[in-house]
Formats: sequence, C-alpha cells, structure tokens
Amino acid sequence: MSAVARLTVRLVVVALAVSFASFSLLSAAPGDPAAAKAGFSATPERVAEIRSELGLDDPFLVRYGDWLAGVVQGNFGTSVLNQQPASKLIGDAMPHTVELMILAQIIALGVAIPAGVYSAQRPNGWFDRLAGAVSFGMLATPPFVLGIYLAFVFAVRLDWLPAVATDLPGLLEDPVENLRQMILPALTLASGMVAIYVRLLRTDLIETLQQDFVLMAQSRGYSRRRVLWRHAFRPSAFSLLTATGLTTAGLLGGALIAETLFAVPGVGRLAVTAIFTEDYDVVMGVVLLLSVAFVVTNFVVDALYTVLDPRVRHGSR
Amino acid sequence: MAVVDAPTSRTGDRAPGFGRPSMGFIFWLSVTWILLVVLAAALADVVPLRDPDALGVRTGEIERFETPGKNAWFGGDGQGRDLFAQVIHGARPAMVLSAAVTSIGGSLGVLVGVVAGYFRGRTDSVIMGVAEIMFAFPAIILLFAVSAIWGMTMAILIPAMAILAVPGYARIVRGVTIALAERDFVDAARAMGASRSRVVIKELLPLVALPAIAFGFLGFGLVIATEGALAFLGLGLEQRTWGSLIAGGQGLIREAPHLALIPATAMFLTIMAFNYVGDGIRELIDPRPIVVGRKRKADGHDPAISAASEALLSIRNLTTSFPTAGGTVTAVDGVSLDVRTGRSVGIVGESGSGKTMLLRSITGAFPVLGVQRTGRVVVDGTDLLTASPAQRSTMLGTEIGIVSQNPLTALNPVRTVGSQLIEVMRVHREISKAAARARAIESLAQVGIPQPDQRVDMYPHQLSGGMRQRVTIALALANEPRLLLADEPTTALDVTIQDQILRLLSALCEQRDMALVLVTHDLQVVRGWTDDVAVMYGGQIVEAGPTAAVFDDPQHQYTQALLASTPRLDLRPHSRLASIEGQPPSLVAPPPGCRFAARCTIADDRCRAEDPMPVQIRDREFRCWYPGTGKAT
Repeated sequence: MSAVARLTVRLVVVALAVSFASFSLLSAAPGDPAAAKAGFSATPERVAEIRSELGLDDPFLVRYGDWLAGVVQGNFGTSVLNQQPASKLIGDAMPHTVELMILAQIIALGVAIPAGVYSAQRPNGWFDRLAGAVSFGMLATPPFVLGIYLAFVFAVRLDWLPAVATDLPGLLEDPVENLRQMILPALTLASGMVAIYVRLLRTDLIETLQQDFVLMAQSRGYSRRRVLWRHAFRPSAFSLLTATGLTTAGLLGGALIAETLFAVPGVGRLAVTAIFTEDYDVVMGVVLLLSVAFVVTNFVVDALYTVLDPRVRHGSR
Repeated sequence: MAVVDAPTSRTGDRAPGFGRPSMGFIFWLSVTWILLVVLAAALADVVPLRDPDALGVRTGEIERFETPGKNAWFGGDGQGRDLFAQVIHGARPAMVLSAAVTSIGGSLGVLVGVVAGYFRGRTDSVIMGVAEIMFAFPAIILLFAVSAIWGMTMAILIPAMAILAVPGYARIVRGVTIALAERDFVDAARAMGASRSRVVIKELLPLVALPAIAFGFLGFGLVIATEGALAFLGLGLEQRTWGSLIAGGQGLIREAPHLALIPATAMFLTIMAFNYVGDGIRELIDPRPIVVGRKRKADGHDPAISAASEALLSIRNLTTSFPTAGGTVTAVDGVSLDVRTGRSVGIVGESGSGKTMLLRSITGAFPVLGVQRTGRVVVDGTDLLTASPAQRSTMLGTEIGIVSQNPLTALNPVRTVGSQLIEVMRVHREISKAAARARAIESLAQVGIPQPDQRVDMYPHQLSGGMRQRVTIALALANEPRLLLADEPTTALDVTIQDQILRLLSALCEQRDMALVLVTHDLQVVRGWTDDVAVMYGGQIVEAGPTAAVFDDPQHQYTQALLASTPRLDLRPHSRLASIEGQPPSLVAPPPGCRFAARCTIADDRCRAEDPMPVQIRDREFRCWYPGTGKAT
C-alpha cells in the first residue's frame, strides 16, 4: 500500500470512529438545539417546526448519515447561534489556533534543543541538574495554573503584555501587536512540551554520545561542537520528532485552556462556547478537525523520519 | 606529572538520573506534603476552621477581598469568605477523585496492558488500536457530554475519567510485560504446566505492579490537574474544588490576585509532590546504570619533552583509570611502549587486559565519564596529554588515523560515506568541497572499493561489513597520518574478508611508511602481520619484543600459556585464544606481586608477594621472576 493510501485509510477510520462517538454522545445529551435556536419566547409549535426542519426527529443513524453526507459535500451545518455556516466560524478561528500551536512548538523546540544538548554533554553537571529540576517543575504545572502565574507576573505586575487577546489583529496586518498578545498563550502551551522534549533529547543524546561513531569522530580531532551537532544530534532526534507529533494532539486540548484563559478567538474557545450554547454542528466540526489534524500530524512526522533517517528511507532499519 | 581528565570529585558511583530525585530530602518533603493534604481532606470538618461558606460581609470577621494576613491566612474572597477554609475543604474532592480514578483506571489499565503484552498477536493489535483512537479522541468532549447527560457529580466523573486513564496505564504495562514475557521464568512456569491465565496472574501481575504504582502517582497528579482544567472551563464538579476556586479567582487577577494564586499554588505543590514520589519509586525499581558521558580536558604545563626519541609514538608510564560502581578501575597501569615509523606493533591479550583502553588512551576518546590519564603519550614530539585543545585536535586529525573494531557502528548512520570523508578533510586542511569530493572518491578506490563514484553517495547501511571497514580505513587515511591505530579491525568480519582487510592495512602502511598499532586477541594476526608484539595482562605489558622472537621463545609464563593454549605447529588459521584456567585479576584492587600468579602453574610465594621488575635484554622485555623455562634468574 502506498503511503498516501495508508494515510487515507487511517484518516477515514479515525475520523469515522471519533465523529460517530462524538455524535452519539452529543445526541444523547439532554439539551434541545431546536429550543436553543428558536429562542426563549418561541411557542412549542415553533420549536417543533424547527426540530423537524433540522431533522432532529429522525432516527439517530439517519441523522448521523445526513451529517456525514453534508460533510462529504463540504457542508458542516449551521451554527444555531448566529446562522453562520459552521465551516466559516471554524475557518475564521483556525488561523489563530494554528499560529498559537506553531508558536508554542517553536518556543518549545527553541528552548528544549539547546537545553537538552547542553544537559547531555555533562550529565549531572550543574546545568543538567538545573534543567532537570526546572523541567520537572514544568511537567507538574497544569497549563491553566502556569497561565495564571504568567498573566499575574507579565500582565498585572510588570504590565508588559496584555492579559487578554480580545482585539487580536491578524499576524500579517500587525505582527508586533499580534505577537504581543499571543506570546503568553504560546508560552502557556509550550511549557509542558519543553519538559518532555528536554528529557527525551537528553536521554537519546547521552546514548548516542557513547556510540562508536561518535568516539571515532572525536578521535579524528573534531571540535566538541562539531561532534555534537554534526554527528550526534541528528541520530538522537528521532524520539524528539515522535514526541512533536504526539504532543500536537495534546496541544489541541491545551489550546482549549490557553485560548479560554487569554480570550484568544481560536478554535478551542469556539468549541468551548459551542458546547455551552449547545451549538452541536460547530462542536462536531471542531471534533472532526481535531481528529484529522491528529492523524495528519503523525503522518507528517512519519514522513519526516525518512528525511532524517536514511535507514528508514531504504527500508533496512 | 599528572594530567587530570576530570575533576577527581566525580566519583561516578550510581549518580542519579536527570530530573530523577534520589530518595532524599525532597522525596520525604513531598511525602509529608501529600500526608498533609490527605489529612486536610480527611479532617476538614473536624479541625477548628471558619465555615468556608460563612459570608464575611455579614459576620464582619473578614472584609471583601481581604488580603492574606493574620486575620485570614489566605485572605478573603468577594463576599468575605475565608479562603484558607475553602482551600482546606477543596482538598477533599481532589483526593477522593484522584484516588478513585487512579485505583479503578489503574487496575483496569494494568489488566488490559498485561493481556495485550502477554497474548500479543490479534488481542494486542485490537487493544492498542482502540487505545490509539482513544488518544485521538478529545477527552474534553467525552467529559462534557457525560456531564451534560448525567450532571457532573463524583459518581459520573470517576468512571468517565477512569476509562480515559486506561490506555495510558495499558501502554506502560504492555511494554513491561513484553519485556518480562520473554524471560526464562515465564517460559519455565508455562513449561511446568501453568495455564496461560495463571501465568498472567501469578507470575506477571506482581512484577508489573510496581511500575504501575509509580505511574499511578504521576497519574494521581494528572487527575488533579484535569479536574482543575474542567472546573476552569466551567465543567467541574458541583463541590468546591481547587479548580473551581482558581476558576472563580481568575477573572479577578488584577483586583485580588491571591484568590487565584493561592489555590493554584496548592494544586501545583500537590501535583509536584505526587510526581516526585512517583519518580522516586520508579528510581527504586529501575535503578539507572552509571551515568556516563564524556569530559576530557588536558591541562597542565608543557613538560619540556625530553630529547626527541626516534620513535614516532612514545608512551611512557601511562596509567588510565576511571571510576565505576565497584571502585576505581585502573585499566592501563604504567605502560611504556615505543613505535617507530614504518613498524607495526601488535598488542595482544585476553578481553579485559586493557589493550583497547591503551589504544583509547592515545586518542583520549572514552565511552565513560571521568577518565584520568597520567604519564606521557608523545606523538611526533607532542605530548597529547598536555597539548592545547587546538594542538591535540590537529594531531588527532592529521597525524593519527583510527580504525575501529566494529565497522557496523563506526560510521555515522545518517550521513553519506562521502560527506563523512569530505568532512574529515575540510576540518583539518584548506581544501575546496569539489576537490575534497574528488579526493574522497580517489581514496575509496585506494582502499579497494569498486565503483567509488557511486558508493561515495551511499549511506553506511547500504554497504557490506567489509566495505564499511574499508570506508573507515579510508576515513583514517584521509589526511595521510603517520600513525595508524587499529582496534581489532577484523573481529566483526567474516574470515575471508579478515584477510583482505589485513592485507590492505599492511600494504598501505608499507606504501606510506606509516606506523601501525594493531590491537587484537588473535595470535595468528599478530604472527602474520606485525613486526613487534606487546602482550598485555591485567593492564600491564608483561612481555614485549620482536614478534618472531617472542613467538619462538616466549619468556613470560603468561605468554607461554597463551601460545600453548593453541597448538604450536599445526595452528589453524585465525584460531582464537583458548582460555587459560582461572580469571584475569581485578583491575579495581589488583593482587600484590605478579598479576598472573594466581593462574600461573609455577608461581611461588615470591611471585605472589613481589611485583616482578621489568627485565630488558636487548630488544626484548618482560616482567617475570621465572622467565623462559622457569629457572630462577
């Protein structure tokens, strides 16, 4: 099976399983989207009318089938709140979330790679112990707790950065203001990953540094920097790469928190609002998006392996 | 003059791993904190606290948004309720929820993991497939739907979160089980007729319990954090929890920061404590091997090297030691050796005799941390132990070439042969990339690699073992060194290739007038390919001299035993050393006297008490009280 075919199969299987599960859970929920749509003053007749308009009276499987058929045609349904297509709401919120996640990954890798490499060079040196203690603390800090600390220090005490990103301009329109508002949410999101990345890279690098080809590189009179970066780093980066893919899924959950805490108008906040307003088409759209993103990210990571590791490329690992 | 490679304080005995606290102060501090939280949860109603629901605005005891102080330790909230009482009462739901979720989800996960890991096959794929989908499923959606249908009470949240916890435990336990199931005792139990389910319950469960408990402590913290996140999103429990306190205070972070910061800190410290204890337990059951790494620094003053000897490599009184869990190992103990230009010297001995460490001591690249070298290693007039880093680097890159024991591991697996060859040339001399590449192809041809212009762009794994060893030789020779060090260059190769490689090495040395140091435990290799030989035993050179002379008339009893252990006249080609009765001496605390005494057939009290002085007779040298036939000297 070619790589693309494999990806497609996995995409379809995971998306179907996740969307079906979510759909059944949501339709079992006691709320009544028809009533929500009709508003407080609507008569029972009006609610019933809307219900049949929305197809809510159909059997569960039919409704799931309808929803699925709509999705295949690019129709994700309509928000009951403001009558906008769910796809438009999600599409508007997406760029902020994607930016947030990319920023967070850049921060996490930017901190973790030098820290992990330096730690591995001198296991148990002062830097290693410090990095170990710090990442241990970061791992133990729930994102919303860290977010509150960050908001308190940088927004309240120092007043350097805004505590909320409510009037967030696009990254291209006003990059400085955009980054000013995004930096705290991104840091909140990044901290847990830094800890994981540092640990993984350190462990693998310590192992690589004992390997024959690294000793040979040292014996050839290469500088410490060259040995580390040109010889040891790349073969040690595979677990880090896997983790980058895996954490992306967790990142989506974290984005929920970070976006709520800092009022970033992204997909996460959209989902939380939609859940509370029983705006189920939007919820389903977000869920589908998340599961597809999860599968695709992991596929991209697999593809990156072949770039980084020639042994995979030639299928002889 | 001593050269210290690493601070002597670095003892190297079981150093704790990264971020893994030892069972020290912080561990017990964490245990204490957990006990305090548990006590708070259990006794919140009994201890004399203010009523957490009493409104200070009415009772007049606490003001609105009162800041923490003597009156109210943690301050008051918007209605003057006592935050301290609220935090203490908030500990209970956190503890109850975490304990229930961890025990239920943990035991289910352990069971699932053991089953998947032990039965493997289809069972395993189905279980892990479901687990993968669960990882992809946004947990928050499940928890929301659950709370919307049944309301967010403990009775709902516990099973929901327990189910979500199962895949995590299952994955860890499955890994442990797979490793365990391949061990002998599991096979043995099955061979003795135990049923499969009995094996799972009696043999495997107890062994995976500890790792699962360690993971459980981490999971405990995770449940606290998740409840907090849910409460923060407005999906929390109906009770007052730390999460709901944080959520309530979050909007007031400007006006009354203590409202969010204090419960957040209580939660943070608790999660931290659980993580610490979990890590401590994990370290107990999974002690890490000695942490190794590298640190080499040659410092000290230039020792004004004595009149240049004619030797290209001159080792004087070299001692190499490094710390291990069992004590300091002196792997090379006072070795002196000269190698002249154009000569080849074989270094022979059993495993653990120190021959590989001797070679490594020349270049200074060690796989262990804290290696110390004393003595002198002079190559072409420069003492490598005291040279500046730049000098050392140039010497290593241009004067010395190294061929490693195992060509399968000696090359960087993720870079092409050509890029590694080009690198070694460009680091140590001025040469354009194109010229270096042309030379790389040329050098591959010189070491007998066919189609070098294609092979140059290949990765090591695309070449056979023999080809790879030729590549390492090409790498060693890239900058035309005058000294070639080869550590068992043929051990990992099959017999027909061995001969080709040795022939190649020998021819290259002759063409380029290089000196060769060949470490091997193969007597036939020494006999066939070297001019001189040094026999190592217990970190010392016990006999050295011209190869032919030593083989014809060995002086040291160990050399004699070595030679006798293979048939003398009808030697099979490439026969390995047959073992001599007994064990080589400990290098941590070597016995007094002759190191070979314990295994020597003619040793007497003198041998066991007095270290034999090196005796030099013309071009031969040995340390033995009863050399040759065994008559006293």
